[in-house]
Parts: sequence; C-alpha cells; structure tokens
Amino acid sequence: MPRWGMVIDLDRCTACQACTIACRNENNIPFAGPDHASKGRAIFWNQVLPFKEEGEQGYSRIRFTPLPCMHCDRPSCIKVCPVRATYKSEEGIVFQIFARCIGCRLCMCACPYSRRFYNWSKGHWPEIMQSAFNPDVSLRPLGVVEKCTFCVHRWQKAREKARSEDRPIREGEYVTACVQTCPAKARYFGDLDDPESMVSKLARSRRAFRLLEELGTHPKVIYLGEGEWREDI
Amino acid sequence: MARGYIEDRELELLLRPLIYTSWMFYPFFGLLLAGVIWLFYNFQLQFFEGHHFTGQGSQGAIWGILVADIVHFIGISHVGIAISAVVRILNLERYKQLARIAELVTLASLTTAVLNISMDVGRPDRFIFNVVKHGRFHAPFVWSMTVITTYLIGSSVYLYLAMRRDLYICSLVLPSHKRWLYKLLALGYSDTPQSRQTHERVVWWLAVIILPIMVSVHSVYGYIFGMQAGRPGWFNPFQAPYFVLGAIVTGFSFVIIVLAILRQTFGWQEIFYPRIFKGLGVFLGFVTWLYLYFLFSEWLTGTYAPPAAERVVFNDVLFGRFAKITWPATILGMVVPFWIFFIQGANPRICSIKLTVLAAIPVFISMWIWRYLIVVPSFYHPHLPYKIAPYMPTFFDWSLIAGSFIFCAFLYTVLVKVLPVLELPEEVRVATHSPVILPYYVSPYERIKNILGLIKRFTIPLTLLAGVGLIATGIITRETPPAPAIWVLGIITLWSLPLQICILPKRESARRYRWPY
Repeated sequence: MPRWGMVIDLDRCTACQACTIACRNENNIPFAGPDHASKGRAIFWNQVLPFKEEGEQGYSRIRFTPLPCMHCDRPSCIKVCPVRATYKSEEGIVFQIFARCIGCRLCMCACPYSRRFYNWSKGHWPEIMQSAFNPDVSLRPLGVVEKCTFCVHRWQKAREKARSEDRPIREGEYVTACVQTCPAKARYFGDLDDPESMVSKLARSRRAFRLLEELGTHPKVIYLGEGEWREDI
Repeated sequence: MARGYIEDRELELLLRPLIYTSWMFYPFFGLLLAGVIWLFYNFQLQFFEGHHFTGQGSQGAIWGILVADIVHFIGISHVGIAISAVVRILNLERYKQLARIAELVTLASLTTAVLNISMDVGRPDRFIFNVVKHGRFHAPFVWSMTVITTYLIGSSVYLYLAMRRDLYICSLVLPSHKRWLYKLLALGYSDTPQSRQTHERVVWWLAVIILPIMVSVHSVYGYIFGMQAGRPGWFNPFQAPYFVLGAIVTGFSFVIIVLAILRQTFGWQEIFYPRIFKGLGVFLGFVTWLYLYFLFSEWLTGTYAPPAAERVVFNDVLFGRFAKITWPATILGMVVPFWIFFIQGANPRICSIKLTVLAAIPVFISMWIWRYLIVVPSFYHPHLPYKIAPYMPTFFDWSLIAGSFIFCAFLYTVLVKVLPVLELPEEVRVATHSPVILPYYVSPYERIKNILGLIKRFTIPLTLLAGVGLIATGIITRETPPAPAIWVLGIITLWSLPLQICILPKRESARRYRWPY
C-alpha cells in the first residue's frame, strides 16, 4: 500500500506561483474578489507564503514557502471533526466529504498550518472560467470546508488504469497538478514507503525538514532546506 | 388590572404572572416578537446566502462573536439548575423561591445557545442529523451534543417534576378558561401525601444527578478550546475549570438581574427581600474574586516564559490591540464589582438591592467580553506567518447577538406567563379526587390506574435495562454509525425513568378490593 507524500525543494522554488494557479484551475477553486479577499476569505488550496527572517542591522530576508495541505500522518483536524467528514485514507491522503460537512469549522481551528478553507459565500467564477471547469472535480456547496486533496481524482484515474492492467501504480503515473506544473521542478510526488522512490530518497536527505514538527502531526509534505549544497541522490 | 380571581391573598401573590396582564405587557411582548422575527430573518439570510455577512474569514477570525455568545449562553444556563439543585440538597429555605426562576433561566438560555450553534454552523440543515448519525467518538463537539442533550432533557424533567404539584393547583384555582391547560400539564397528578413524598424524593435525587452533568456541560466547552494544539492561546488543560467558574460568574450575575426585574414587575418585594440579594451578591463577589485569581494565574503563565506563539497572544490581549477592552472588562467589570460585593458583605448596615444589581450588570457584560477575548485573539496569531484580516464584527453580527438576547428574553417571558414561577406553599389544600372505595365495585378509572400500576412494575426495570444497554451499545459500537444516535436514545430512555416513577400511578394493594366476607 503506497503512502503518498510530497517533497518541496526550497532551493529550487522561484515563488512563481504557477503551482497556485495550476491548483486553482485543476480543482475549480472559486474566485474571491477584492472585497472577500481583504476579509481573509480567499481560497488557496496551495499558497506561497513569505517567511520573513529578521537579520542583524535591519537586514532581513524573505523565504518563500509553498504550502499545500500537509496530509499529516497524525492529523489534528480529523480528531475534532464531529461528523467524520474528514478522514485519512489507507494511502495516507486526508480527505474531505463535502456532502457531509456541517461547516462547524473546528477542523480549521485545529489545523496548525491553517490549510483549510470555508465557503463563506456561494462560489463565484468569471464567465470565461466557467467554460474551463474540470469535470472530474465537484464544485463545493455553500457553508462547507474544503482543502487540498492531493488531486485525488488523478489518483482515482491512475488506480483504475493500473487495476485494469493488473499492476501497481507506477512512479510518476499519479502526480498532483502543482507537481506537474512547477517550471523549476521544485516539487516531487510519490510513495514515501517505497525506498527506491525519489520522494523517499529526498525525504531522507539531511536537508529535509517538516513544518512545525514539534506539534507531532507528522506531515507528509517534506521541505528541503534552502541555501545549502544540493546532495547527490 | 383586573383583580379578585383568587381569594387567597398568598396564592394571588404567587400566581400573579398567570392571573394578571397589564397593558404594558402587550407593547413589550410585541417588541420582543419583532426582535425574534428580525433574528430569524437574519438567520434565513445567512442560511441561503452564507456567512459572508459576518466579519469572519478563513485567514482571519474563523469563529467570531457568535461563538462567544454560545459560550456565554451555555454559561448562563448552568446556574439555573445549579442554584435550584443546591437549594434543594442543602435545604436553603431563604432561597427556595429563587429555584424555579433560576430553572427557567436554564431552559431559556440553553435553547438560545442551541439556536446560536445552529446559526454558527455552515449547514444547519444537516448538522443535527449528521452529528447524531455520523458523530465521531473523539470529537469534543460530539461530547458537547451528548451533554447538552442530557442537560436539556434532564433539566426539563427536573423542572417539570418540581412544578407538577403547582400545575395541578393552578388547574383548580385559576380562572376556568385557563384550567384545561394546567390540567393537561399536570398529567393526572393527585395531591396526596404519598405522591408529594414520591415527587420530593425523585426531585432530590435528580438534583444530585444533575449537578455533575451541569459541570460536564461547560467542561466540554472548555475542552473544545483547550484541546486545540494548533491554536496558541487555547491549548491549556486549565480551560475546563476556567469555563465552569466563568459559567458560575455569568449565571449568578444574570439570575440577580432577572430576579430584580421580576421582583419589580410583579411586586414580589416581600418574597425577595434585600437579604436574598445580599447573599447572592456575596457569593457572586466570591466567585468573581476566584475568576480574577484564575485570570492572574493564566496571565502570569502566559507572559513569564511561555513558548513564543503563546507569548504573542497574551501580549496582544494584555498590552496590544485587545488591551483597550481587556483592562476595562477586568477593572470595571470585575475588580470594582468585587469590592462593591465585598463592602456590602462585610458591612451589616449595607443591604441594597440597587447596589447588588448595579454591580452584577458590569460583571455580566464583562463575562461576555471575556468570552470574546478567549475566542478571537488566537486567530490573529496562527503558527505560520499568514497575513491575517482583522476581525471587525459587522452590523449583521451584532444583529444576531442582540436577536439572541431578545430571543432568550422572549422565551423567558413566555415561560413566566405560562408556568407558575414560584413554588406554591405546603398549606394550600385543594380538594383531591380521593377515590371512593366500594367493596363490590371498581370504577373504570380505578381499573385503568390499577393496570398502569401493574405495568409500572415492569416498565421501570425494563427502561433501566434498555437505557443502560443502549448507552453501552452506543459506546461499544462507537466507530460505526449511528453510534451517537444509540447512546443519545439510551440517555433519553433513562431520563424517562423519573417521569415514569412519578406519573404512572402506584398499583393499589390487592387486599383493598378483596371480598369483605
């Protein structure tokens, strides 16, 4: 059974936000508009966040960190969900059942990475975007919480194909939209339990770290530290 | 004001809300009704259009003042039954008449809290059904649903049984056009010494049972916040006792205010004399002081050498953007009232109702502000450096809050106008329907009573077994839906026990109907 995970190399990331755009298009994420965005209601399943590092003598440095859902191995959002609308699959992906969610937003409060978003109003898309909806992804109703699913519809397609050919999913056969789009090839996606996979090797790198590791959530999105020599793998 | 329905002066005094309706009542009730309609208009607007009318946001305040209001109303609901239970268990004669006024506060505020919860969730259309069907055992929200259901049903049963005799007396002494309602509500009560004794015993045990349930309700609300490791400022094992104490402070201040209003409205000066208010004030002063001590401990821990994320939240509350409401809420809403209560309590010459109420009002407002300060500041400081949209409650937010208070007042007014809010004295003797016993003839009424009495012998142990069995099944099958529905059904079944004991007639001894020769 694979355990899907992602590695993001911060040394390679150029903060171009192509991943954010790809994610929006792939997952039919609604547009917020300036008014809602100013009130913190914009939905970004994938977001590039600037971390400001204060240095000496007023010198500061900005580090850009792309943030999808961390798909934690011990997710705090799942424990608090009163209706089992969010759960972890056998392959480690944290899902959200939109048709069951009651919109209590407890999972949003519990997520230390703030990677969950609530539909504060009915979804809105510019007319031109409506013709480009992805038919594989359902539109979320009003009043429910949504989040990154590691492009689960791609996994479903890959799984069906692999099943029909009676074989396991091959490496690279299932990748998320953000990984596929990244022009700097800063993102890797695959099976963390397969010792031969790229993500597994990168996750064992000395540069590897996880965000807020001290909280014990065991995220499956692993970062490679910036500003160090790239190791041979 | 029409007078003279009841000749007994004492009964007339105690049943005033049910007998008289002044012209002032109608515009007052109309205003409350308008407020309730306004609240439900806003509720439907939010239901169909979404929560975007509020000032909240995903990267801003995920929960806003409505959640503070939920915690506040749950807090108020505590004290009603607590006062009543303590008065009954400790046999505090002086505060006896306060008990039912406080019980009705519980019922009104708990209903308002549940309404507020359904207003806060995004999908009120599916929230009760989904929580009961799919509820996850680990989720504090499911615990909350369980304890609120237990508390709401338990307090209604408690209130009803404690009031049943008074409903029966109302069915005999009130004007004839109102009697049918009380006759119906009394459910065939007959005022015999045996029946009184059964009711008193059952209600006493209910008081004993309901006290820990009351503590559990607000503890669970503390856990909802205290177990969130992802939120600096919330993750705290101290939250449960902190919330319970806050609830006692809130509830007592509210009961003092309600009592003063009812006393003035219905002319109950001789029943609720100043010493009662003084006693309540002294207790409120004591719990306010305890709350200040809790706050001090929390602030000291939060600012001395805490983890960075915690320090930022506490600094913001004490010295940052929230300081302008923190300090007035603490000093004007807690420290000053505490000294007023202290001075009044320490000086035997001071015994003022006005002073007590004037000190209770700022405590009540300050507790609401404290709920806000628990809920909102944490959202300004997530673990990761997001750009957070500042939370400014909108007119819509405030409409929901004002509407909720009006709804609570509306509900309370209806309860006060329909139910006898003061306990009728022991001495009230009304003709009872004692059955005429004939040696050769048993009336159909007696036959039915006898059959019910026989059934009671079986239903009580069966109900007990079914209730415990259902709860156990629910817990054992907790990972499979609909486990919460099963254990909630078990709880409801158990709560029917006291009703069965009191309402179903006791089977008459067989000897009574034996052939005399």
